[in-house]
Amino acid sequence: MFFRAEKIFLHMILIFFCSAAATTARAEKPVIEIEIRDHLFWPSEVTVPANTKVKLLVFNRDPTSEEFESYELNREKVIMGNKKAVIFIGPLLPGVYPFFGEFNPDTAQGKVVVE
Amino acid sequence: MWSNGESMLLTSVVIVLREVLEASLLVSILCAFSGMLGVSRRWVGWSLLFGLAGAIAYSFAVSIISDWFDGVGQEVVSAAMQLLIFLLLLLFAFLVVRDSGAQRMQGRLIVLVMVLMVSIAVAREGFEMLVYLYGFSAELPRFMTILAGSVIGACIGVSVGVLIYYFVSALSGRMVRIVGLGLLSLVAAGMLSQAVLLLIQADWLPSQLPLWDTSEWLSENSVTGQLLYALIGYEATPTALQAFFYFGGLLLFLVVAVFSVRQRERY
Repeated sequence: MFFRAEKIFLHMILIFFCSAAATTARAEKPVIEIEIRDHLFWPSEVTVPANTKVKLLVFNRDPTSEEFESYELNREKVIMGNKKAVIFIGPLLPGVYPFFGEFNPDTAQGKVVVE
Repeated sequence: MWSNGESMLLTSVVIVLREVLEASLLVSILCAFSGMLGVSRRWVGWSLLFGLAGAIAYSFAVSIISDWFDGVGQEVVSAAMQLLIFLLLLLFAFLVVRDSGAQRMQGRLIVLVMVLMVSIAVAREGFEMLVYLYGFSAELPRFMTILAGSVIGACIGVSVGVLIYYFVSALSGRMVRIVGLGLLSLVAAGMLSQAVLLLIQADWLPSQLPLWDTSEWLSENSVTGQLLYALIGYEATPTALQAFFYFGGLLLFLVVAVFSVRQRERY
């Protein structure tokens, strides 16, 4: 009897995780690609839909590292030279959300426009 | 307007100050506790050394770690470190309150907990500074400017820590515990809400619209905002999940402290 209860419990956990994995896989999120070249963001302005979760793919084409940072988006991530980073943002209300490269804030400036 | 060199200097001051401040606050409060508990402060040196070694190891491994879990390895590892510090802070609170009587049986355990916490915190914060400095090491003139800024930032961060240390230490024994644990509970709650934010960024936890927006009133970008971010984990636009874990963390810390007073009374 004891083993059976344990088995049922384990099955429940398994089902929970499988369904959780399935829902994440099913929900296709829009992917936006941004490149960092010569301490600049290309494009420096991206438009995303409101109330939607978006996957940002940031490619750092510079040999030096950069930190993607935005107070408005509450995001912060170090991206090593010649590497890419995945950053999920949103859902967001319509508006303009600036972001910048913390290591080169003079040049690396961009914004996410939500509409 | 700032010239390029001046703005580079300013940037490096801000970056390093932000990172140093968090660790410096933790160290200063724990140092004040060491004084009260009669523990030698030698552990601080060891912690900084371990932390630095951890930061160097992390900065070498970060390219690999970043690719873990479909590209969110950095968030997951960082959140795990913050979660661990949070749990260690709870254990610390329990030990400090319970053992604040005559017996110092758990002195070694307390030191071990403090060393672990500070090492992890320094590794986490130090890693970003190292990555930042590496990036400019190829160009000597710029590197010297950045280095100067970093030293200034670090000095300011350490000074704030020293001020807090003397402020807490100047209190009487009982007040050291109350004020020190009060400050640590805020640090702990901030750690927990930061860990939650990182897991939201990694899409491991659901994200929501912000619960409120106080950026008009106090920007996270401002000096006060940065200081409050380091001390109490201030966020201008937190989500409900973050706020829940922040206040839940505070409550849990309080419950642990009260529970350990009961434990002490049993002896």
